[in-house]
Amino acid sequence: MNIGWKEIKKNKSRFLILGSIVFLVSLLTMIISGLANGLSQDNAALIKDLPEGHFYMSEDAEETYNLSRIDTDVQNEIMNKHPDAVALSIQMGFLNDQDDKQQSVAFVTSTNSDLFEQVNKGEVIVDRSLKEKGIKTGDRLTNNQLRDELVIKGFVEQKKFSHAPVAYINREDYKKMYNVEQMQLVFIPGEDSAQSFTGLQSYSNKDFLSTIPSYNAEQMSLTMIVSFLIVISGMLFAIFFYMMNIQKIGLYGILKAIGIKTSRLFKMIWTQMFFITIIALTLSISLSHVFNLIAPEGMPFHLTIETTTQLSIIFLVVGFIGATLSGLQIRKIEPLRAIQQGED
Amino acid sequence: MTIFTLDEVEKTFTNGEIEENILKGISLSLKEGEITALVGTSGSGKSTLLTIAAGLQPASNGEVLFDGNNLTTMSDEQVRKVRAKEFGFVFQFAHLVPFLTVEEQLMLMLEVSGSTLSKKEQKNEVDQVLDVIGMEHRKNAYPSSLSGGEKQRVAVARAIIHKPKVLFADEPTASLDSKRSKDMMELIRYLTKKMNITTLMVTHDEEMLSYVDRILQMSDGMVLENE
Ligand SMILES: Nc1ncnc2c1ncn2[C@@H]1O[C@H](COP(=O)(O)OP(=O)(O)OP(=O)(O)O)[C@@H](O)[C@H]1O
Ligand SMILES: [Mg+2]
Repeated sequence: MNIGWKEIKKNKSRFLILGSIVFLVSLLTMIISGLANGLSQDNAALIKDLPEGHFYMSEDAEETYNLSRIDTDVQNEIMNKHPDAVALSIQMGFLNDQDDKQQSVAFVTSTNSDLFEQVNKGEVIVDRSLKEKGIKTGDRLTNNQLRDELVIKGFVEQKKFSHAPVAYINREDYKKMYNVEQMQLVFIPGEDSAQSFTGLQSYSNKDFLSTIPSYNAEQMSLTMIVSFLIVISGMLFAIFFYMMNIQKIGLYGILKAIGIKTSRLFKMIWTQMFFITIIALTLSISLSHVFNLIAPEGMPFHLTIETTTQLSIIFLVVGFIGATLSGLQIRKIEPLRAIQQGED
Repeated sequence: MTIFTLDEVEKTFTNGEIEENILKGISLSLKEGEITALVGTSGSGKSTLLTIAAGLQPASNGEVLFDGNNLTTMSDEQVRKVRAKEFGFVFQFAHLVPFLTVEEQLMLMLEVSGSTLSKKEQKNEVDQVLDVIGMEHRKNAYPSSLSGGEKQRVAVARAIIHKPKVLFADEPTASLDSKRSKDMMELIRYLTKKMNITTLMVTHDEEMLSYVDRILQMSDGMVLENE
């Protein structure tokens, strides 16, 4: 007989309340995770979409990519050794559209590589978000540092840097705009460990992301909220079952006296915990994915099945730990106690 | 035939510095199918003796022998199995499981005792016992909707449904009025005689003694037998 289930059936409202709270907490967690993920995508999709590898910037740049200058000889040496390496530069700037409206963008230029869009001199490929601002293929845009116009050659999906849409331009144009010969960064894709080059410091993709101003601050505060919510959900279970157990000490004692195993009482709590959590999670997963679909265009919300699966597993594990901790007191209950106690 | 023997059982509780000798070497034996009453003043050690005999707490010294087994040397798990299979319990309060129906309480007991009957046979068994205690019509009721007497009857049914060898009852009538107490004793007597269950019962109530076969008088941790 599944006594855990029988108890839920008899005390529906009690378990409904716990279930609703777990549902709300897990929904909030998923929404915030979606937001964290969306923001990080909005902040650095350009970097996040790259394969695993290592970035190199000059040591004296002190982790600030736009102060970095890669020595041309060193760059050539690296490129010779690693044919798939790519040198790139990123600069925040503005494009003026045909109505002379300024659009903030991140200019990106690179040596020949599949990882970054390649354009001819006088052309530009921009992030799709500029399409919504009314910019079309063939439009002629201007930049204050550049005498010639840049023609929109096309759009790319979700390429952002530092919350600005990326604009891929040719190296010649980049050099004219910013008056620099050297590139800022070298990226070598591949799982191999970082290599050392004179005067350069290496960064994994993740480390490089955290050098982007605001990226870390943003992610850290959201991650913190998410972890708090997860801890709270664990405590919810611990406290709920603790209260229920306190009320049932007499009952547990009598059940032990008539010969029920302690492990069966634990299984009862676990059944209840899993039952509630799975229903609550099913609801919050569906709802947050619906939210993912209907979230307003401009809202940086991005929730993947992978994230929800991970969170669900964490919720189940944390709930299990909470319920088990509160159940530890059951082990200490002696059958005798119950008999000496009064009526239930 | 003797089924249950206590041999020089002692129990000492330590309250801080003070050692209190609650049971001072008790020897007694219970005969199969007999109802034995333990009487005595409050604090004389009746409940302590009953719970030691039932394997709910260990003795400090001495032996508890049941059906050829020595409970005092068994592991906790072994004692639990004996309790589940061979013993039945009734206490002052019914202590029913609040979220199980009357029928489910009894089904659970059958399951805990390791019954080998099929589900259908178990249900038949439950129906029969409910018929005997006159609670068939309430088999789908939850304890909260039962009267005190009804709850106690279900508790008795739960104590004997798995056909235990020994029934332990600690003041089973203390929460009932005089009329219901007598009904309860009649029921216990009827069931234990029918099923040949050996009964050890603690009671305060002189009136209940007419339903028992043998009376053991306890005083200050000792048994002074009388008839
Ligand atoms: N766990 C314990 N720790 C310390 N002392 C205990 C413990 N259990 C019982 N005692 C003491 O043992 C003595 C006998 O208790 P017991 O409950 O056996 O008495 P009783 O004869 O059943 O009394 P009553 O008729 O009131 O139920 C009492 O003085 C009690 O305080
Ligand atoms: Mg007592």
